[in-house]
Amino acid sequence: MGTGSRPSEGELLPGTLDMLILKALSRGALHGYAIAQHIQRASDEVLRVEEGALYPALHKLEVRGWLKAEWGLSDNNRRAKFYTLSGIGRRELERESRYWTRVAAAVTRVMQGA
Amino acid sequence: MKVRDRGLGVWNRIAMLWRRRTLARDIDDELAFHLAMKTADTNDALTARKQFGNVAVLREEVHDMWTFPSVESIWQDLKYALRTLRRAPAFTLVAVLVLGIGIGANTAIFSLVDAMVMRGLPYPHADRLMVLIGNVQRTTVERRGNSYPDFADWRAQSTSFDAMAGYTPLTLTFLGASDPERITGEAVSQPYFDLIGASPAFGRTFRPDEDAVPQRDFVMVLSDSLWKRRFGGDPSIVNQPVAILGQTFTVIGVMPPGITGVTDAAEFWVPFMAQGGLTNRGSRGFNAIARLKDNVSQSQAQSELTAISRQLEIQHPDTNEKRGVEVSSLSDLLIGPLNSAVVALMVAVVLVLLVACANVANLLIGKSESRQREIALRTALGAGQRRLLRQLVTESCVLAALGAMAGIAVAVFGLRTLVATSPVTFPSYVQPTLNLTALGFMAAIALACGVVLGLAPAMHARLASLGAALKDSARGTSSARAHRLRGVLVVVEVALAIVLVVGAGLMIQSVRNLTALDPGFDPTSVLSLQVNIPRVPAPPASPTPAAPPAPPPSAAVATTCQTVPAPPPIPLVISSTDLIDRLRALPGVVSVALSSDIPLGAGSGATFYNAEGDARSGAQTAPRAYFHRVTPDYFATIRLPVRAGRVFTAADLSASSNAVIVSENVVKRFWPGQDPIGKHIGLGNAPPCLSIIGVVGEARHRGLPDNPTQDPDLFLPYTDRPGLAVLVRATGDANAIATSVRQAIRDQAPGVVVYNIATLESLVGQQTSRSRFTSWLMGVFAVTALILAVVGIYGVMSYLVSQRQREFGIRMALGASRAGILKVVVGQGVKLVAIGLVIGIPAAIGLARLLGSLLFGVSPIDPSSAIAVAVLTVVALAACAVPAVRATRVDPVVALRNE
Repeated sequence: MGTGSRPSEGELLPGTLDMLILKALSRGALHGYAIAQHIQRASDEVLRVEEGALYPALHKLEVRGWLKAEWGLSDNNRRAKFYTLSGIGRRELERESRYWTRVAAAVTRVMQGA
Repeated sequence: MKVRDRGLGVWNRIAMLWRRRTLARDIDDELAFHLAMKTADTNDALTARKQFGNVAVLREEVHDMWTFPSVESIWQDLKYALRTLRRAPAFTLVAVLVLGIGIGANTAIFSLVDAMVMRGLPYPHADRLMVLIGNVQRTTVERRGNSYPDFADWRAQSTSFDAMAGYTPLTLTFLGASDPERITGEAVSQPYFDLIGASPAFGRTFRPDEDAVPQRDFVMVLSDSLWKRRFGGDPSIVNQPVAILGQTFTVIGVMPPGITGVTDAAEFWVPFMAQGGLTNRGSRGFNAIARLKDNVSQSQAQSELTAISRQLEIQHPDTNEKRGVEVSSLSDLLIGPLNSAVVALMVAVVLVLLVACANVANLLIGKSESRQREIALRTALGAGQRRLLRQLVTESCVLAALGAMAGIAVAVFGLRTLVATSPVTFPSYVQPTLNLTALGFMAAIALACGVVLGLAPAMHARLASLGAALKDSARGTSSARAHRLRGVLVVVEVALAIVLVVGAGLMIQSVRNLTALDPGFDPTSVLSLQVNIPRVPAPPASPTPAAPPAPPPSAAVATTCQTVPAPPPIPLVISSTDLIDRLRALPGVVSVALSSDIPLGAGSGATFYNAEGDARSGAQTAPRAYFHRVTPDYFATIRLPVRAGRVFTAADLSASSNAVIVSENVVKRFWPGQDPIGKHIGLGNAPPCLSIIGVVGEARHRGLPDNPTQDPDLFLPYTDRPGLAVLVRATGDANAIATSVRQAIRDQAPGVVVYNIATLESLVGQQTSRSRFTSWLMGVFAVTALILAVVGIYGVMSYLVSQRQREFGIRMALGASRAGILKVVVGQGVKLVAIGLVIGIPAAIGLARLLGSLLFGVSPIDPSSAIAVAVLTVVALAACAVPAVRATRVDPVVALRNE
């Protein structure tokens, strides 16, 4: 997914965007812009989510049935599309975050050793 | 996507189909909202938009998530393709026509193949139906037919078959209210009807006793066509008597429409036993049909019957020496002879299609060159390479689909013409139609064409480096590779065309050989017909036993030399001398002859004979000949040359005459270098008591081109017989006297039947019809391929010349002569044509092998092949020369200024 090019400064590791979106939505409904903002803020401005990657990913997850979407009003009273986790999405989030924790720890161990 | 999600995903997408319109708006709204928020946050609309990237691409990408992008964009591609094609009507028309011819011809021939070969025979378990054909081992194995006692033994002893039945064609003369009519049917033994899966529409078929006891009841089953034609479709015909010349039959049933028997021409059926002469083991003439048991193979059945034949040979050495039986599948027997022709034609049309495709590919490449900038632009606007490729393939598929539609017209017309004008009679159940199979085949080849054609321009469009085309002007970007691809196409076209042209050349030469073939007699201006003359009614007191309707030919031999008592002369209502006199008096008639059989009519019987002074030899080499009974004028009428001695005179025409005329090969075999006149031969086992009075030339009496076997002919004096052949030589066209001859014969006595009126020339023509038909079609295909190839070569050469116009201008400005330029261009063409020839000629020889059995007196290395190659070369070079000459006319100033 995403742009497919090599990760450069601030870009996401390939394959992590889905997980970050699921995580962002774990506390409640958000629209696309808020999801991007959340990820950026929560990562202390290290991770930037490109729109070009975000929306295809959101829609892909919605088609898959991991996310549900609903149109509602934003804080500034504009029509916006709000995403929430579905049951499948919640299970996938748990699975992915467990996997990520294990892999990240493993990678860290490798990098710190030797 | 993970597999387990797939179901839900597909479902969501399908659900979206009903919300398509809102989908696009929702995506737009969502993205717009995002952009608005971002602009508000950063207070910088420009940066926000910049960061957003290409909204159109993103929108499409998101949209694709929800849909089946392949399906949707194919629809888009289709619309685009149609638009593109509409913008270039001339190109589209030519391409569609060319493809239409290729696809249509393929579909037509395929329908034929489908009807003949693939659909199979219209019988139940047709794959297990075998035909048993008695044969004899002479220098080669010859098919001879079966004798009834042999057949009965096979049936009793073999275990390979479910069922076995004899059948033989039979012609009877139907009398009654309307004109007497000769009608062909079959004499069949049970369970024949079960084997061919026929049951009567009403009435019944033969009871076992009607089949088993010789001539117990004369019963008959009618075909639907005969019942309707001659009996007015009257259902009360069952149990009614039908008057047949020589015997009255009782109708017991009528078959449903479409049942024509294994001989495919039967209009009635009578029990096998209705024929006489079934007790003679040495009298052979019919075939048997049998169904293999489920678990028995053809070769197992063959070995079993061969073993039984060996047994019979030991038990009946006098009649069964070297006699065997061939187990041949029914479909091989019926379809086999046409197979090689159909396969050759299929190969030919495929080649035509390939040439057509090469041509259209060339056109497409030419077109894609002029479209390179368009393609580059679309690439720059974000069209993916795969998408572009698909666009090209879609375009060519649309073209192929249009071609297929044109092809339907070509195929319908072609098939109709093919079946209507074919001099080859197809089996009646072969009714090639554009059915679903054929249309499916057409769709498949159209799709294949479309894909291949789309890849051709793609291959040379070098999609990877299209960016270059944008920067560059169009000139000069068509790379050497593009030239090479087009060159390859020319080579392919030449190679394919040469295969077809050589193939057609061989076929045409073969037909010329066939027509030039000297049958040994002169068929021009000779009318041939067959006559049945009723016997003088017998005195009512002593009813004569009905003569068998069709006595097996070889049973009636050896009636001369007083060794076998001559049969009592049969009084006929017209005497042969009256008949001859009456016909000779007609205007336009040169001479008239009567004969026991017509030339090429397969009506003569084979007989063994012996020559004085020659030791008897075994069955394999025992001298065998075909004998004919003829009147004195026979030899003059068909101009069979007399080599020595004399022909018959009126004095010879008696049953007790011992005069015989032999053909040259008899003399060559027994008395080379001696005077044969006065030597003696004997027929069958009789002592040599027939005295040779004359020798005539060897003629192909029994079939062209090779007179099935090499046996000589014997001519005996004519004796009166109810069934006879009449040959009439006319002063001019034999057709002109047909009506008056027929009328003159019929006027002589009531009840006379005249049939099979034909000119001897047309009979000769029929013998070569299969080859003529195939060669005619091959010729059509070859010319088509040749024209397409020439157009293709011309197109490519013109294009190459136009591309090099500037170069030629410079060359000429620098002092190159026109001849020099001509040489360059023609040289290029010659190279391509030469490579095409080098590839094509071996392929042509391969095709000639395939034609093998269709060719007569022609080897692949035939002068006609050289002519074919020459024709193609000249035409191809002419196609190069025209653009070459145009190249020399280039005004250097204009060419250079053009830049």
